[in-house]
Amino acid sequence: MNLKDLLRRWRALTRKDEMDHELDEEMRFHLEREIDQNIRNGMSPEDARYAALRSFGGVDQSKEECRSARGVGLVDNIVRDVSYSGRVLFKSYAFTIVVVLTLALGIGANTAIFSFANGILLRPLPYPESDRLAVVEEIALKEDGNSIGVSYPNFLDWREQNKVFEGIACHFGTGRFAMTAGGSPSEIRGTRVTHGLFEVLRVSPILGRTFTVEEDRPEEDAVIILGYNLWQRSFGGNPNVIGQKITVSSRPRTIIGVMPRGFRFPEVSELWVPLAVTSKIYTRNDHGLEAIARLKDGVTIEQAQAEMTNVAARIQEQNPVTNEGLALKVTSLRENLSGSYHDALLILLGVVGCVLLVACVNVANLMLARATARQKEFALRAALGAGRWRIMRQLLIESLLLSIAGGVLGFVLSIWALRLLLTAIPGDLPFWMNFNLDWRVLGFTLAITLLTGLIFGAVPALQTSRVDLNDTLKEGGRGNSGVRSRARSLLVVSEIAMSLVLLVGAGLMIQSFLRLRSVNIGLDTKNVLTATTNLPRAKYTQDDQRTSFYKQLMERVRSLPGVEAASATGTLPLGGNNWGRGLTVEGYPVLSVGQVPTVQHTVVTPGYFRTMGITLLAGRDFNDADTKDSQNITIIDERLARQYWPNESPLGKRVRFGPPEDNEPWHTIVGVVSAVRHQRVQEETRPSVYLPHQKIPVGGMTLVARTSVNPHDFMGAVRREVAQLDSDLPVSEVATMEEVVAEAIWQPRLYAMLFAVFAGGALLLALIGIYGVMAFLVQTRTHEIGVRMALGATARDVFKLIVGRGMKLTVVGVIIGVGGAIALTRLMHSLLFNTSATDPFTFILISLLLSLAAFFACYIPARRAAKVDPLVALRYE
Amino acid sequence: MTKQQGDLYKQGTLELLILRLLSSGNLNGWDIMQRIQLISGEVLSVTPGALYPALHRLEARGLISAVWRPSDNNRKAKFYELTTRGRKQLDTQRKQWEQFSAAVALILRDA
Repeated sequence: MNLKDLLRRWRALTRKDEMDHELDEEMRFHLEREIDQNIRNGMSPEDARYAALRSFGGVDQSKEECRSARGVGLVDNIVRDVSYSGRVLFKSYAFTIVVVLTLALGIGANTAIFSFANGILLRPLPYPESDRLAVVEEIALKEDGNSIGVSYPNFLDWREQNKVFEGIACHFGTGRFAMTAGGSPSEIRGTRVTHGLFEVLRVSPILGRTFTVEEDRPEEDAVIILGYNLWQRSFGGNPNVIGQKITVSSRPRTIIGVMPRGFRFPEVSELWVPLAVTSKIYTRNDHGLEAIARLKDGVTIEQAQAEMTNVAARIQEQNPVTNEGLALKVTSLRENLSGSYHDALLILLGVVGCVLLVACVNVANLMLARATARQKEFALRAALGAGRWRIMRQLLIESLLLSIAGGVLGFVLSIWALRLLLTAIPGDLPFWMNFNLDWRVLGFTLAITLLTGLIFGAVPALQTSRVDLNDTLKEGGRGNSGVRSRARSLLVVSEIAMSLVLLVGAGLMIQSFLRLRSVNIGLDTKNVLTATTNLPRAKYTQDDQRTSFYKQLMERVRSLPGVEAASATGTLPLGGNNWGRGLTVEGYPVLSVGQVPTVQHTVVTPGYFRTMGITLLAGRDFNDADTKDSQNITIIDERLARQYWPNESPLGKRVRFGPPEDNEPWHTIVGVVSAVRHQRVQEETRPSVYLPHQKIPVGGMTLVARTSVNPHDFMGAVRREVAQLDSDLPVSEVATMEEVVAEAIWQPRLYAMLFAVFAGGALLLALIGIYGVMAFLVQTRTHEIGVRMALGATARDVFKLIVGRGMKLTVVGVIIGVGGAIALTRLMHSLLFNTSATDPFTFILISLLLSLAAFFACYIPARRAAKVDPLVALRYE
Repeated sequence: MTKQQGDLYKQGTLELLILRLLSSGNLNGWDIMQRIQLISGEVLSVTPGALYPALHRLEARGLISAVWRPSDNNRKAKFYELTTRGRKQLDTQRKQWEQFSAAVALILRDA
């Protein structure tokens, strides 16, 4: 296209009136010449004019064709179509509001779920080139491939022997450090890391430096790196903080660095100290570290996995005793973090997409009904020279205007919905989840908005453009209603089918969640308050100090009015912390590390079982007479008892814990208690053993108190009692046991809720859809119904006719839906607990409920049809 | 005009005729219509509904340009003239048409 061309087009666009005027003139000139000629040929002026017009053909059609021939027609026409559509939609505002709201809900739900999934599955993690980061885990083959954490000596070997990683570093999980900042003690989440960790993550401190190799050794590790927020909070962002000495968990450390704003690793940590262990302290048998590595350029996860498997095999050859039964797993950091959300999010996206489809179908239905009413308008336009494509385009533009309005409103709704959604995630959001708006969300919304407009706009556009002009103008708009009602029936069937799939999915999820919630986790969760304290090692250096602290605290809490019992445990059931240790039973062969069974190892103070409502089945509880100097004793749960002593009493038998060849002391079994789910509500993979706190005086314990009234009322009192014993000691994670359990199953609850909301929405839309079609049917067939009644049909017959029609559609929809559900609910398998994906009860119940609801949706129009007065109906037209 | 004749007025053919007529002088729409009828010995005729869109299409493609000036009956009319590009286009299209019709004639005679 050259400049002249552009100018011409520009002129055509901007000076449309002038061009139109010229076109008029040109046509008029032609007609006048024709008329002149006709007059010269002897016609009267009247006849001459008539003949000229007739031989010209459609003047307006020709003009229209000239306009489009000029090529400016497209833009010009679209501008006109848009403003025309705007006016049309504004005039039928009731229709417009219903459609825009329907679409806004559909698009809003999709955008909200997509934003949610985007924040978890798609957004880059907050480290440079985060897709090159990998997590290396050691897994125990005997425990179904569960990760058992990395042992330090193995890690050192990996670092030395691998050729696939640019760097690899190790760290513990997030721990708690006591820091007195601004007068009151607080617990700061922090992590012990090896040197090189920040280099692997490629994040540099904004002040100071990272840990050196030397600082990663015991005795030389009195240094600390602060997170940005902690630096702001506790040091007012003072840039001279480097070199300052602070006391963290009662140990003095020198600040050597401050990390940039927003940096967190792992989870929510905001301070870092050197790991500073040796292979002597932390042997090959001690697992529990986490390793993170950066892949070399061009190395894939699969290649890294292959190489590391070889490395692990070499290490195992040299250390057969400790490393047998272990394998190594390399996953991307993303997969490692988002693994537990992955399936559910994809399924939810599918579900919410289905809801939008149902919404589209509904809107398409409305558009079809409206198109029928507008047949004459389109026929008239066609007669005036509008081509088939032009009318289709007009309808598509109307659809797009509607979908864009719905998209904008839906987008606003989604922001609110996402906020609501995020409140379902308990505790602090994991550091790597980021739900701020980004181009992916905007692009997604735009894409589904346009797609939606095209989907629901295409059906009426295709239908309408097929209209036969002559029929329509002649018959007054009844010619094509047959074709159209077939299309609408098809839409209703598909709506019912999709709703059924969603409802069945929701039914399964809800059933699964209810079963999960009613799982007996082995203790009485009602009226139990829990609160965690961590005694700093540096201050409570002696075992006795820790024992007596908790003993005193128990006494104080027990004496509070309203407290029935109180005790403490090292690992709260379902609290997220677990301590697994190897078990060796006296009289059984000593197994290697890889084969030794793992038991859940829980340290408790006396009275724990009574406080938590765990049944003592045999023997006795721990008591104050058990001291650190008395015999080593343990209490086991019924699962372990059944496993090793199915036909005899386990009391008096002896077991020992830890790596089998370490020759730890034997512990005598003094009691058997009922089983408790420690790790997951869904299942317990490990049997449990309990040990008295007096023997293993760990510093971090969770207080549990059974109260006679609402446990929330005791939160303040418990904090006060702790403060009176040690005013520097922070109390964290105060929650009732019911809250702890609820938190453990927040994901299934959220998914069940979302499923229910979406399926409910789809059901509502489907019912509106079937109601609309039936009402429309009654309206357009009033005449026919009148004839039937005049010929002797009773009101009952008419009622049956209409309801029968609606139910026929419903039954077809239900049958297709059941087929679809059988195929699709299989995908949900991993989300379901104790519930079959093809549970016949759910399928039958949902089908019946849906049919019943559809019956009521048909009932109203059918009643109206039955009330038709044949006299009025026949006079109708 | 019968249906068969109408089929001759495929877009390209009509445009070729217009270009050829304009190559010997500027004409308005009415003149072009008259001449097609006259020169073809009343065998070919074109309706305004086909002619004017074709003219506007050619103008849009820059093959012809238009000026307004008085016609022989002193009314202002839109006169079309061939542009340089239009002249080139006429030459190529004419050659193509001649080749085509010669080929068809050959087959009709000898096949």
